[in-house]
Amino acid sequence: MKVPLRFLLNGREVALEVQPHARLLDALRDYAGLTGTKEGCGEGECGACTVLVDGRAVNSCLYPALEAEGCAVLTVEGLVSAQGGLSELQQAFVEEGGAQCGFCTPGMVMSAAALLSENAAPSDDEIREALVGNLCRCTGYTQIVASIRAAAQKAGKAQS
Amino acid sequence: MAYDYHRSGSLAEAFALAARDDSALIAGGTDLLVALRKKKRAAPARLVSIRSLPELTAIEAGPGLLRIGACAPLTEILAQPVVRERLPALAQALAVIGSRQIRNVATLGGNLCNASPGADSAPPLLVYDATVELAGTGGRRELPLSEFFLGPGRTALRPGEIMTAVCVPLPVPSAQSVFQRRSRVAMDLATASLAVNYELQGGVLKSVRLAAGAVAPTPLRLRAAESWLEGRAVNEETLAKAVELARGEIKPIDDLRGSAWYRSELIGVFLSRAFRNRKEGDA
Ligand SMILES: Cc1cc2nc3c(=O)[nH]c(=O)nc-3n(C[C@H](O)[C@H](O)[C@H](O)COP(=O)(O)OP(=O)(O)OC[C@H]3O[C@@H](n4cnc5c(N)ncnc54)[C@H](O)[C@@H]3O)c2cc1C
Ligand code: FES
Ligand code: FES
Repeated sequence: MKVPLRFLLNGREVALEVQPHARLLDALRDYAGLTGTKEGCGEGECGACTVLVDGRAVNSCLYPALEAEGCAVLTVEGLVSAQGGLSELQQAFVEEGGAQCGFCTPGMVMSAAALLSENAAPSDDEIREALVGNLCRCTGYTQIVASIRAAAQKAGKAQS
Repeated sequence: MAYDYHRSGSLAEAFALAARDDSALIAGGTDLLVALRKKKRAAPARLVSIRSLPELTAIEAGPGLLRIGACAPLTEILAQPVVRERLPALAQALAVIGSRQIRNVATLGGNLCNASPGADSAPPLLVYDATVELAGTGGRRELPLSEFFLGPGRTALRPGEIMTAVCVPLPVPSAQSVFQRRSRVAMDLATASLAVNYELQGGVLKSVRLAAGAVAPTPLRLRAAESWLEGRAVNEETLAKAVELARGEIKPIDDLRGSAWYRSELIGVFLSRAFRNRKEGDA
């Protein structure tokens, strides 16, 4: 038997009917049709499924969908501008080579978005610490850290 | 794995549902949902969620005591200045649990009730003499944390009981405490860990507390080594004897994270370092 679930998805109110045991990951991909969020391990290890719930990064594979009731959920689709352009953070991943196969990228970008919202000018160590829960099999991480550093610097310049 | 999911609206409702044998409690779910997925645990008919009950998530600092709601997420606990300033070993332990994503949802009560021998919050809470509040339809009781763990995955919780809070007496400002841990890679469970809390008065050790993780069926206090150190000055002979006693108290095993021998070595190294690196001055 399905149960109702309402929450704010990338700023828009959504009303879904989900299985009670559905994960937030399932609600996003299978019920809301947003497939940017990926499933890697399904066990909290890889971070490919990272989304923000009320501003905090969580593994959507370990997050019961029903716990999102009334919350604000942000996925990688929510970062793009209304005109469909990439955000500065996403653009930095493109420019700095922060994505190769791209499977880990939505999770990486969401972890980075959570970090930058708390700390606008993180050190490289702080960037690495924020990415402990995000695995990448391709890039070697150096370009990912560089992407986030570049995005922070660009945002810093725009501020001043 | 199709179970019903119920978000408790009140503590009373949670007590009533938790008492049913077709139901299991879920807090952050970071242990439980992984265990269900790996089929290490049979799925119950219903998961009873307690993570949003305000009575269980509050963190209250009273005079000399910090009361942490069992469902407070680790990130919230780490954000408390009193934790960083007065309970450094607890802060050091919570900061290395899982990843940001895990700490944002994992709860302190879940870490303790899951009763893993390597639960990282346990050694620091043991050296701070923490107590746990347990409650159910049958009433409320308080237990020293040292009496809570019975074996891997086994605790003193009675059927239907919920851990409601963890109470941590704040150490005197002159006390020194530290948590040390070794794991193979980031995000891995501890191979071995040790928390230490003590005071130095007139050059001798007072109120010594030692607790180890991942080296026995449960996290445990190292009481023989504690009483040996009590009242003694810190020197190499004293420490060597303490290490010998500590190694006699643990029961490490060989597994994929390390051998029994390596775990025993780690405990010795952690113990010696904790006292050698003490701050000078014995106010
Ligand atoms: C990728 C990953 C990395 C991890 N790394 C670490 C690590 O480094 N160190 C570490 O110690 N742990 C680690 N863990 C384990 C886990 O995240 C922690 O133990 C966490 O604190 C569990 O809390 P929870 O709220 O998610 O528990 P849940 O999964 O909700 O519950 C765990 C168990 O406790 C019971 N329970 C929960 N709350 C209560 C309560 N209030 N009263 C009674 N019973 C209750 C549940 O019924 C269940 O049996 C990791 C897990 C993952 C997935
Ligand atoms: S899919 Fe969620 S952490 Fe790997
Ligand atoms: S770019 Fe391929 S996994 Fe990260």
